Amino acid sequence: MLIVDLVQSIVDGLLFGATYALIGIGFTLVFGVMHKINMAYAAASVGAAYAALRLIALIGGPAWASLLIAAAAGGVFGLIIYWLCFRFIPLSNPLATLMSTVGMFLLAEEIIVHTTDGMPQNYPVVVRGILDMGEFMIRGDLVFVFVCALLAMVVLLYLLYRTKLGIATRAVSQQPVAAQLVGIRLNHINALTFIVTGMLGGFAGALIGSAVGLLSPLLVIPLTIKGLIVTVIGGLGSIPGAIIAGLLVGMAENVFQYFRGVTERDIYVMLLLFVFLVFRPGGIFSNTVKRD
Amino acid sequence: MTIPRLLAASAFVTTMAISSAMPAAAQEREIRLSGFGAMSGVVRSFGINSKAALEAAADEINKSGGVKLGDGTKGKIVIDYFDDRCNAEEGISVTRRIASTSSLVGIGPTCSNVAEPLFGVLQKKVGDAGDSGLQFPIFTDVAIKGGLAKISEWAFRNVPDEGAMYAALFQWLKKTRPELKTIFGGVEEDFAHSRATWYAVMKEVAAKEGFEIKGEAKWLLADTNFTNQAREARRAAADIVAISAHPFTTCGMLKELGRQGVKPKLVIGLTSSSSLETLQGCAAEAEAIIIPTSFAPVTPEARAAADRAAKFNGSLDLHSGAAYEIVAILKDVIEGEGVLAKPDTVQADRAKIRNGLSKLTETKGLIGISKRTEEGEAVKPFLFVHAKGGKWEVLHNPTK
Repeated sequence: MLIVDLVQSIVDGLLFGATYALIGIGFTLVFGVMHKINMAYAAASVGAAYAALRLIALIGGPAWASLLIAAAAGGVFGLIIYWLCFRFIPLSNPLATLMSTVGMFLLAEEIIVHTTDGMPQNYPVVVRGILDMGEFMIRGDLVFVFVCALLAMVVLLYLLYRTKLGIATRAVSQQPVAAQLVGIRLNHINALTFIVTGMLGGFAGALIGSAVGLLSPLLVIPLTIKGLIVTVIGGLGSIPGAIIAGLLVGMAENVFQYFRGVTERDIYVMLLLFVFLVFRPGGIFSNTVKRD
Repeated sequence: MTIPRLLAASAFVTTMAISSAMPAAAQEREIRLSGFGAMSGVVRSFGINSKAALEAAADEINKSGGVKLGDGTKGKIVIDYFDDRCNAEEGISVTRRIASTSSLVGIGPTCSNVAEPLFGVLQKKVGDAGDSGLQFPIFTDVAIKGGLAKISEWAFRNVPDEGAMYAALFQWLKKTRPELKTIFGGVEEDFAHSRATWYAVMKEVAAKEGFEIKGEAKWLLADTNFTNQAREARRAAADIVAISAHPFTTCGMLKELGRQGVKPKLVIGLTSSSSLETLQGCAAEAEAIIIPTSFAPVTPEARAAADRAAKFNGSLDLHSGAAYEIVAILKDVIEGEGVLAKPDTVQADRAKIRNGLSKLTETKGLIGISKRTEEGEAVKPFLFVHAKGGKWEVLHNPTK
């Protein structure tokens, strides 16, 4: 029974880790382009999912429509966060944008709490079905999240490496002054980055709501923490790294919980983070360990 | 009558009218009661409902003529409500702030993790000159973890006795559902109330009533993945699954049990989950879950109170229902103890209210008479409710 349970824990963890991967991609993309952390990213993602839930309740529509509405809302929230927390804040001071996004994180969380009175909201199931293989079970909705995470990675990599927007984005990321000299509008590209990552975040928020079956302000802090861990383990700015790290963190959580219990689980996840920071500070796909 | 005489007469009448109205206004004193609890954060709904219940009860008393004070004048209840964010430091800070005003009683807090340290800063024994603790009566409506009022003689609670409630529930199940033999527990490990209720109440009384404990699964308040825990429940194949958790994770676990096809014969929930939150989060999955509660709109008084609270944008449940009752209890105590509610009698009035509360042996509640213990706790009447068709319905009334 031990092996069966262990394998099931690993599979469940990997699949649930796909939700962390989706959030991690958003964190890492903003860092990759602007070299800044957007602490309000997960809060905005959950906020976008709430907005979709409200709109669906208001106008009706199938459950899958909530994914599209959440993506649209996420894009709008992304732009708002860019305007309020980055556009007019001195980017040369790394603490300024960090604090502005922490403020936005708290504001977004409180807006959600005040709008919903903190009550959990039932979220419609987008994908139903469980692959039941006797002792083993695989949840269809988590497989869907997993596929979405892979698709998001492919689409984002295509956008970054095969389109003019991607070239401009990478130029802004690598040489912002040179990019401006060749006519690339820095603010325009940064805003677009926030819209794209916001859309991805909204989509992720809706998928997470669907996978959990609920939306609650309680999701905001854990998702922010998991998103940051995934970003660090995956390597700041690495999209494939965020995917692998998301799956790894999800799996590690479940396995540690299986062996050590729920009260010790997070201790080991944090230890994993420290192991990466010490031995592989550049993340999973970094080539060399650069140390002082 | 000449014009000067007319003017003089009208001036006299006006003066008399004003002077006769003034004493009435002066006689109507303010009786300030301060509620405090979570008005922000994820337990905000508790604070909103308590505030609405306090305001509704005060409004009803004020409309019915107010409170008769010790010198024969009438007083009107004024409710303040403060946010402690379900945080111990903020709860203590808010209480000290309330105690520095003319407020006569603090009504709260929401969370047991606030109540426990807060009661610790109150004077332990009344009249102990060596104890410089706060001498301010606190009457708790929500924080439900067992046995907290004994920490201080200034602390009183109007919360249900979960030990008695779950003991009665398991006794009733043993009698009416003899086919139920085994139980599996699920507990929110990092929340004081949930944890205490599983380990010290549900688990113990179930074992005492002869139910075999087949195991327990643990999770945290903000957890979203319950696959391991539901699998443990599936493997245990117990007749009853008891979930000692608040609505967010209760719903998460119920949904995961459903996904994994775990169908226990009965699901029992935590008292605090017999609320609107659970129905908003997972009405379908919570269908038939049984929860003991100390409030349901089963009497005319309870129904009227629920309607009044709704007008103040709140929902009455076992916690906010307790807040509503507290205002009525305080009215009786204020009248019985001859409280004056004057600016210079604040501390004396607080002492009178504390004495009055400590003398109570029973109080009138919304669904029946509550007994009071010497330790400042309530033994409230209760019912078993179950979720049916997206509503809480009374399943059984143990007092009948």
